[in-house]
Amino acid sequence: MSKLFEETRSLKAPVWGVIPRAAWPLVVAIAIGALIYFGVSPLVGGFVSKVMLIVGINIVLAVSLNIVNGYTGQFSMGHAGFMAVGGYVAAGIVYYGSIKLWGSADPAGGILSIVQEGPKSGPLLGKGDFLFVISCLIGGLVAAGAGYVVGLPSLRLRGDYLAIVTLGFGEIVRVILQGSHDQIQPWKAADAAAMPVYELAWKLGGPKGFNLVPTYTTLFWVYFWAVLTCIAAYRLKSSSSGRAFLSIREDEVAAQAMGVDLTKYKVRAFVFSSFFAGVAGGLYALDIGAISAGDLNFIKSFDIIIMVVLGGLGSISGAVLAAVILSILPEALRDFQSYRLIVYALLLIVIMIVRPQGLFGVREVWDLKIFKRRGGGLGGSAGGAP
Amino acid sequence: MLDVRGISIAFGGLKAVQDFSLSIPRGGLYGLIGPNGAGKTTCFNLLTGVYTPSEGSIAVDGVDVTGLPPHQIAVAGLSRTFQNIRLFGQLSVLDNVLLGLHLRGRHSLASTLLRTGFHVSQERAMAAVAMRLLETFGLANRAEEQGKNLPYGDQRRLEIARALATEPKVLLLDEPAAGMNPQEKKALRELIQRVRQEFGVTILLIEHDMGVVMNICERITVLNFGQTIAAGTPDEVQNDPKVIEAYLGTE
Amino acid sequence: MTQFLQTLFDGLTVGSLYALIALGYTMVYGILKFINFAHSDVFALGVWMTIVWSKWLGLGQPGAAPTPWYMGALVLVLAMASCGLVGFVIERVAYKPLRSAPRLNVLITAIGVSLLLQNTGQLKFVFGPYPKPIPSLIDSTELFSMMGVSVRMADVAVIGTAAALMIAMQWLIFGTKLGAAMRAVSFNTRNASLMGINVDLVISFTFVVGSMLAAAAGFLYAMKYEGQAKQTADSMWVMLGLKAFVAAVVGGIGNVRGAVIGGLLIGLIEFFGVSYLSSHYRDAYVFAILILVLLLRPEGVLGKATVEKV
Repeated sequence: MSKLFEETRSLKAPVWGVIPRAAWPLVVAIAIGALIYFGVSPLVGGFVSKVMLIVGINIVLAVSLNIVNGYTGQFSMGHAGFMAVGGYVAAGIVYYGSIKLWGSADPAGGILSIVQEGPKSGPLLGKGDFLFVISCLIGGLVAAGAGYVVGLPSLRLRGDYLAIVTLGFGEIVRVILQGSHDQIQPWKAADAAAMPVYELAWKLGGPKGFNLVPTYTTLFWVYFWAVLTCIAAYRLKSSSSGRAFLSIREDEVAAQAMGVDLTKYKVRAFVFSSFFAGVAGGLYALDIGAISAGDLNFIKSFDIIIMVVLGGLGSISGAVLAAVILSILPEALRDFQSYRLIVYALLLIVIMIVRPQGLFGVREVWDLKIFKRRGGGLGGSAGGAP
Repeated sequence: MLDVRGISIAFGGLKAVQDFSLSIPRGGLYGLIGPNGAGKTTCFNLLTGVYTPSEGSIAVDGVDVTGLPPHQIAVAGLSRTFQNIRLFGQLSVLDNVLLGLHLRGRHSLASTLLRTGFHVSQERAMAAVAMRLLETFGLANRAEEQGKNLPYGDQRRLEIARALATEPKVLLLDEPAAGMNPQEKKALRELIQRVRQEFGVTILLIEHDMGVVMNICERITVLNFGQTIAAGTPDEVQNDPKVIEAYLGTE
Repeated sequence: MTQFLQTLFDGLTVGSLYALIALGYTMVYGILKFINFAHSDVFALGVWMTIVWSKWLGLGQPGAAPTPWYMGALVLVLAMASCGLVGFVIERVAYKPLRSAPRLNVLITAIGVSLLLQNTGQLKFVFGPYPKPIPSLIDSTELFSMMGVSVRMADVAVIGTAAALMIAMQWLIFGTKLGAAMRAVSFNTRNASLMGINVDLVISFTFVVGSMLAAAAGFLYAMKYEGQAKQTADSMWVMLGLKAFVAAVVGGIGNVRGAVIGGLLIGLIEFFGVSYLSSHYRDAYVFAILILVLLLRPEGVLGKATVEKV
């Protein structure tokens, strides 16, 4: 028996690196979020800031969908469903949580979560911010749970069957949420405060949607999460787990023969991907202050799929770039609104015929030759060699 | 090392493999031959868990693996190559081998995302092992190329390297010499011998090329229409009238 | 009892529409092994073609004389012909270049075609973004009432036409040379072409026939829901199409008889769910059934399990 592996196991990573490696993504996420929120946003003005917010949420959605559709080669068409799950959970927690804790559904955030004109003043974080952050996390976790459930059938279903099942899942989520009970309006906050949590949990507004939720989402939080999503996706891609995902995409039979547990990794991809979709749903709902299951139908899922396909199935930077382009495009083409989806549709067809791997394929922007020549590139600094 | 007792499988009415038995001692190099459609690859698929045998049992190093899913059989120490090469074409040569190493490590989601010390040292160790394997196979200078861009012979060798990376006890080679020219076949023969010595694996190979089989295999099993028609040393098999009949037909 | 019979009748009527659409899904899947996502839009196009041709021929408009049956049949034929043509073009332009591409790519293309059809239809100079009323080509008064079940002429026309088309399909596929060629291509495309079958022609033909059946379903849908106003880019169309797809899967994808059985089954499940459980979850029943079938018997009711070759 070969002793190769045992011999080399002793190649230990320096211990001092552990904490920085675990923590730097958080630091970078906070730094970039703060830079965009305090630095860029005041310079570019309200409208551009609003577009940037949409871009950021779409980055989270596209990069996370890419893990299932791009890395693992499964085809999920229910990403909007996970987004809806996370969004409703987060909105419910923030709305009813505020009422339960403070008696009203008014926003109670600090600087980071209140969009102010002029100089920003007040505490950095308000009491509501903690509720907001927790609600997004829980929204993500619940969505991840849903991802686990949806991931299980993916073991037995391939390609287009799975696509239909995930699409069906998205629709079931929508139909079920639209069947929820009426929301308790803010002026009846006292009633809500007196109700037990399990009763409130199902008063999500039904077909009218869940409205008048206090808003907390700002550019800071959106880019904080966008950066975290990208780093997490990158760490996944450049590790053994990521290779296992890619191997499933390349050839399931060979992957299994190499000892890759299809069940484990497919479910893992779904769980991971839907967690971030859930977080994006929370950010989305708490930006608008409302969420409606009717808006998060399969057309929304298609939008995200188009981003992933255009950017390249498996490319993080490709997904980011595509999310940026495809979020800005409709704003720039307001006058041609009715042509937007036609352009998207043609784009999909043409990409599939001309460049089926998308703009970047599995590669990243920094893998391109132009960047290679200048040496190093971004790959190294993004943790290429851990 | 590998003990197969009376495995069978049928597809619809067709009995693809019937009552197949084989026992290879540690370090043995055995061959499996037979005309086209005799059920050789089906045998491999049964051994590696792609299909589940309807009867019989399979044991690797004394551990029963009958009915386990393919990835668990790989963990138990059975690895294979494929007749129609199944590399991960879009992944790099190095990544292909790293995938083989995958099952000997632990890869939790948390340690991956947090890049714990364990995770990082494991990834380093894996990369080092993979590079050494590639060097052994003369593929180190192509480590960063995509698998699908390798020339045919290199793809075959990479598949063997990838299979060896799983640290198998038994290595199954499905027509490793297919499509090779005489020089390549000679090199392959040497490679198989070397692999056997250096890695100490037990090898079972399917091959059409009699030159390869007769020269390196210690014992050979002959299949025809899913049934074992002969088994023995290369000399015995070559002179067996049933084998001659299966290959050449009767007068 | 009345409610039961009425539900049964409604379920069968709508189920026969699903069955017609499902035939198109199943035939394409049988041959090319991918879900033609755009099929539901061809069905929607069938509804729109019915509206457009009726208007053009001055049929079924408010104040016009009752439409004679042969004119109704003419609209049906025209709608089928136009959709058949669209089906042909879709296959040649979008799918043919991808004959040897991975199935996922074809699926993505199909989504693209679907979006393209929907949104092109919505343009001002095509069908326009506003709802249009469906003309009434068939006398909508009650024909007769049996045990409390009211039967309209439109319902009879729907079930009758659907049944006739399904029998015609059965004959086409199992009784003609072309049908034999289709089955051969479906069994093994490469071998079929080696045997001298013009595979491209057979595939085109399959798309045309499938699209025509979808158009017929669209026409019949318009007959059943005459008078209602519909929009082109309504997710309802996709939903109807998807249910038909579910029907194809439940029946056993690639299996023509399975599609018919699946269609009727899905129609019945939907209507019984709505009238006995809750109308709220109408679409959820169908997908719940789909997930159940895929988990318990992935090959469908009449399908055959296939083993992947390694």
